[in-house]
Amino acid sequence: MSTECVTCTQSEVCTSAHPSIQEMYSRTHDMGLDTIFDRYQAQQPQCGFGMTGVCCQLCSHGPCRISEKAPRGICGATADTIVARNMVRLAVHGTAAYTHHLEEVAETIKATARGETPYTIGDPDKLREIASVIGLDTDKETNQLADELADVILAELRKSSTEPLALVKLFAPPTRLEAWEKLGVIPGGVLSEVRDALTKSMTSINTDPVDLMLTVLKLSLAAGYMGLVGTITIQDILLGTPGIAESRSDLGIIDPDTVNIVAHGHVPLMATAVIQAAEDSELNELAREAGAEGIKVYGSMCTGQELMQRSGSSARGYAGQLGNWVTQEYIVATGAVDLVMMDMNCSTPGIKSVADQFHTKLVSVDRVVRMEGVDDHIDYSPDKAEEQARELIRMAVEAYRNRNGGVFIPQHQSDVVAGFSVESILGALGGSLDPLLDAVKEGSIRGIAAVVGCTNNRNGHDTRGLNIMKELIKNDVLVINAGCMSSASEMHGLMLPGAAEEAGEGLKAVCNALGIPPVLNFGSCVDIGRIGVAVTAIAGALGVDPSRLPVVASAPEYLEQKAVVDGVFAVGFGLLTHLGPAPPVLGSPMVTRLLTEDIEGLTGGKVLVEEDPVKAAAKMVEHIDEKRKGLGV
Amino acid sequence: MKEILLDYDKCNGCMACAQACAAEHSESKTIVGAILEGVRPRIFVQSVDGKPFPIICRHCEDAPCVDACMAGAMQKDPETGVVTNEGHAEACVGCWMCIMACPYGAVDRDYRSNTALKCDRCPEREIPACVASCPNNALFYTDVNVYADARRTAEGRRLLAIG
Repeated sequence: MSTECVTCTQSEVCTSAHPSIQEMYSRTHDMGLDTIFDRYQAQQPQCGFGMTGVCCQLCSHGPCRISEKAPRGICGATADTIVARNMVRLAVHGTAAYTHHLEEVAETIKATARGETPYTIGDPDKLREIASVIGLDTDKETNQLADELADVILAELRKSSTEPLALVKLFAPPTRLEAWEKLGVIPGGVLSEVRDALTKSMTSINTDPVDLMLTVLKLSLAAGYMGLVGTITIQDILLGTPGIAESRSDLGIIDPDTVNIVAHGHVPLMATAVIQAAEDSELNELAREAGAEGIKVYGSMCTGQELMQRSGSSARGYAGQLGNWVTQEYIVATGAVDLVMMDMNCSTPGIKSVADQFHTKLVSVDRVVRMEGVDDHIDYSPDKAEEQARELIRMAVEAYRNRNGGVFIPQHQSDVVAGFSVESILGALGGSLDPLLDAVKEGSIRGIAAVVGCTNNRNGHDTRGLNIMKELIKNDVLVINAGCMSSASEMHGLMLPGAAEEAGEGLKAVCNALGIPPVLNFGSCVDIGRIGVAVTAIAGALGVDPSRLPVVASAPEYLEQKAVVDGVFAVGFGLLTHLGPAPPVLGSPMVTRLLTEDIEGLTGGKVLVEEDPVKAAAKMVEHIDEKRKGLGV
Repeated sequence: MKEILLDYDKCNGCMACAQACAAEHSESKTIVGAILEGVRPRIFVQSVDGKPFPIICRHCEDAPCVDACMAGAMQKDPETGVVTNEGHAEACVGCWMCIMACPYGAVDRDYRSNTALKCDRCPEREIPACVASCPNNALFYTDVNVYADARRTAEGRRLLAIG
């Protein structure tokens, strides 16, 4: 289970913590295929101005970059302005993409309420619970109530930026609301906030770095309460709240003898319809006629995590998780994948260049996803989902017929326990958080770390994240995963009760007593919202503000814009938030100081930038100990 | 006599020098034009363990590339000290002995003419394009004695500060 990076010393190319991916890299390399690890190398060295955020390309005077020689851009903008304005643009992207996900789910609930989709409302209890908090008449029939709730969500998204978001007011801890009100960062309608932020970040409209950074915080709270908490809540209502489930992961689970479909992306709607359609006898007969033994639907990225945590309910039949963002090209390079359905976010052009060497069919299944050379689009539409799912399976069978040999499946796989959520933990603990809180109070669990977000190749795929997690559990810190980091732990066997052997004595005893792994699988990156709900519940149970809890967050391999709003959301929530690669802010002394120091006095949280995994874990543990002292435990 | 000198610590890998070099050696004299014309830069920014490392011809006194050039294309100008095949490139037979001889890897291949390509220190410019373009002051065009003098002062300051 060693994750000491060996590839750096053994080869000129830095690859992955996972043996399966190392083997696949050798295969693509031998085939003469350029994949992500080669392209990373080809991009070196990378420009220091871009890395530190002081490159501005907004107007035709530019690009300008800030240096000792030229401390201001041509318009007069300082490094502080340029860095903060670039941050706003990153946060806008992240917020917009989360909003797309939320809208797709809300529209699907409406179509489901009309009886036009293959889905049924999966968690009517949660629907009534949330409807009651929002103030809807819960005596109404399930479908009608669901329709009204979806209308509320859509109206919240679209209202003006001057009307505060109801979900923030209803779901945030009162102490948090107080802090945010003082800063004037309680967001209004999300789409209006996106419009305002884009307007502010245009050339010469808003050049005040402080106001721009507050805009980043406001967007992140909007993304947090709508895109994260809102999305997981109504997705649970539609597809069912996750329950503890056993599954498998890594490339070794690929069955070479079946028609293999990979659901890749973030929005699990089409994928759920495909999994359900894959049970159809007519389609299975079609697969057998083509010479296959059956049809299997695997997951990749966050769509896979969503399916895994619902594999006991709406995604029954799910074949397991193949990997995360970095692994997509290598999944295709096994030669045993017949179709990749790409929903919103995280399909790279690299997957196409590998697919071109095999029989694999790539299909975009969301109207916003397009890729050069990919001509098959089955854009998800709730009322057509059932037929669209069947069409995708037929396309996969057709592709299976074109298999051209050359299958290579690395023989590595791990079992996984998935499906942790506030509800499933409460269920396992007999209806109360007390056993968990008692373990925290008496110190066998020293604290909780949410190790979440993306993966990247900057320090070896998943290597940094896994080293931090192993260091944390060794120090009796319970780890919760969401996003690509879930996949890292799944493939590495950390999401099994047996992994408690790697934990410190205290955490090991708790894991063994409760039968849980030391790293809990909370699911996809949207499920960071689920962690927010969990931290809110813990803070509520203890009667303190989240910033006083022995809880930290880490995005050790953060990659893209959704992760930027996730990170700032965690800081706004009052948590020490570790970021692996430094975000592009180091060129601005003001923004760097704000995020790493000054913001602590405003929200209670702050960013910790530390590239060394052991030191990063030690600083997080130190922070946890301080918070324990503050609580007198 | 001035030389192109480097302060490696100041380089942040932005490659402005390489772009300016290509532009200077293009017909259009612009960065975009150089890309369209396929002009290659004559200064290199290597990535060594993630750290940018600029490399440019040292215009050696006893230049191995000149010694190795059997065709006599590569020459050292006795007046300017510049080592180049510019002006004699028609003699170059493309044997690449100069590339093998250069200990710094500072000679490259011009794929348009299939001859050796290297720094000519921008004969039409007072200050070479790479030096003029560097936003970080990592490149200097100065007499080596001036550079050494500045280095002595900086080192003295550092040692005195340590005490």
